[in-house]
Amino acid sequence: MTAFPAADGRLTPDAIQSYAFPSARFGRRGLDEGHVWEFCRLAEREVVRLLNERTSLADEVQRLRRRVLAGPAAGSGVRPDDGHAEAVAILSRAQQAADRYVADAQEYCRQLSDDARRLGDEILAEARSRAVLDEAHAEAGLAAGTGPGTPAAQDGSEPGELEAQLAYLRTFSDVYRTHLHAYLDRLLRNVEEWDRAEKETLTVVHADMSAPPDVPPLPPLPRIPQ
Amino acid sequence: MDPGRLKENFAQVAMHGDAVALFFYSDLFLRHPELRQMFPVSMAGQRDHLVRAIAKIVSEVGHLDRLTPYLRELGRDHRKFGTLPAHYQPLRASLLATLAYFSGEGWTPELAADWEEAYGQVSQIMMEAAAADEMVNPPFWDATVISHEMRTLDTAVIRVAPRQRLTYLPGQSVAIESELRPRIWRFYSIANPPREDATLDFHVRMIDGGELSMALTRRLTVGARLRLGPPVGTLTLDTASGRDVLLVAGSTGLAPLKAIAMQTAELADAPDVHLFVGARRAEGLYDLPDLEKLGALAPRLTVTPSVSDDPGYWGERGSLPDVVTRSGSWAGRDAYLAGPTPMVEGMAAQLAAQGVPPQQIHVEDFGWSEP
Repeated sequence: MTAFPAADGRLTPDAIQSYAFPSARFGRRGLDEGHVWEFCRLAEREVVRLLNERTSLADEVQRLRRRVLAGPAAGSGVRPDDGHAEAVAILSRAQQAADRYVADAQEYCRQLSDDARRLGDEILAEARSRAVLDEAHAEAGLAAGTGPGTPAAQDGSEPGELEAQLAYLRTFSDVYRTHLHAYLDRLLRNVEEWDRAEKETLTVVHADMSAPPDVPPLPPLPRIPQ
Repeated sequence: MDPGRLKENFAQVAMHGDAVALFFYSDLFLRHPELRQMFPVSMAGQRDHLVRAIAKIVSEVGHLDRLTPYLRELGRDHRKFGTLPAHYQPLRASLLATLAYFSGEGWTPELAADWEEAYGQVSQIMMEAAAADEMVNPPFWDATVISHEMRTLDTAVIRVAPRQRLTYLPGQSVAIESELRPRIWRFYSIANPPREDATLDFHVRMIDGGELSMALTRRLTVGARLRLGPPVGTLTLDTASGRDVLLVAGSTGLAPLKAIAMQTAELADAPDVHLFVGARRAEGLYDLPDLEKLGALAPRLTVTPSVSDDPGYWGERGSLPDVVTRSGSWAGRDAYLAGPTPMVEGMAAQLAAQGVPPQQIHVEDFGWSEP
């Protein structure tokens, strides 16, 4: 005899389809009656069980429907579109983080250029005031006919005096020129530093950066009263 | 539609501040991720624009006809961002979702209908303007950089060749986008009147931390590609007035006024033009050689450079408004002012005090002050 197929004893459409009733014993015709009755009892039990399950599911549907209709407050607080609202909140937070990063980078950049500009201004102002001072020295020296630290002593003779003045002028001119070179060097170094610092803040450094920055020319030496 | 109800609802929603626009864009990008790439990485400025535009529209919601010029301009202008009629529907859905979310209990079918109707009217005007513009103009002009000069540490003069001729009036501006900074558009004045070869000059001053200006001054190279938006701006020469002209330019405010100065030189009956150009220090007068050449060619043009913050400067010293005011009386002239906000405001006030009527004072505020 073929056993009922499902392991948990439940009847499946497949089992009904494939069930093979044994033939009746020798001398009788047809199928084995006992087996047929047994099969019918099994089928009945299965149908009852399915009906019960259907009823309890219908109850559950009713219960859930009532809960949904009652609104979020009545249930666990879960709303149908909460997933979307949550996603919006997450995306919003991500956008705010991105905004903050960009703003920070800009602020950093702004401070950097600000500092560089201020430093450049200071150096320029210092160079200028020194140049003005030096010039005033030279003029004062010339006016007096004896510059401070004039190398040759005055002996009263005119050629000697001129020679002394000439020597003083030459010396002063050399010193002045050296000073000016030093200031210009500092200025240039600073400008290069500024440029480099800025380039480092950019992600890509162009090999063919358009042109080195223009160094602001020192203005013509002003004649300013002290 | 009940304008009062709609205004009240918007006032209530707007109390949530930046969260409203934040929700709107997040909702939009969740529903339509493909739209995200039309916007810049940082959305802070974008959110600001959105809320201000909606507030402006809502304030006139009962009389949208008053806003028609603004909305048409908005519709045309959005073409350069790649906005298409198909984009208006997702925006509508996200706008309504946002308003509903922040209205909470107060959201009613009537309010939804009000907003739907208002949005329908606004988007209709914008789409029509865009469609009309499409018959005449490209959404933006592709241009190639043909020269790039750093004139000072932070000021560049750029010449570009647009692929298609861009028609504009001297003194007008265009928005510029660079491939170095996608989706970031900033307005710059064109520094020349229309040329035979259609090339355009721009004077770009590096604003510390400025998203686009830093790229345009320090990183742009010859051959780089730019996109230019349609020309805008009302700082244009009143050729019919017959009056002589005063031009006052602070920093790169020189750009639009140089274009106007060159335009006057080409007029059959050229007016007397006095161009004052100011900077903090002598080296900031980045275009002086060119202006001197211009002055030599145009007999009725006088150029006066001045410097505000450089006691050693040989020429005019002092703030631009002071220099201009002490140089003469300008009451009979048309005045055109461009540059940093404090300079423009100060100059306009001093001209008014001199008796220049308000309708003769034309202003382009560059919206920044010099460091």
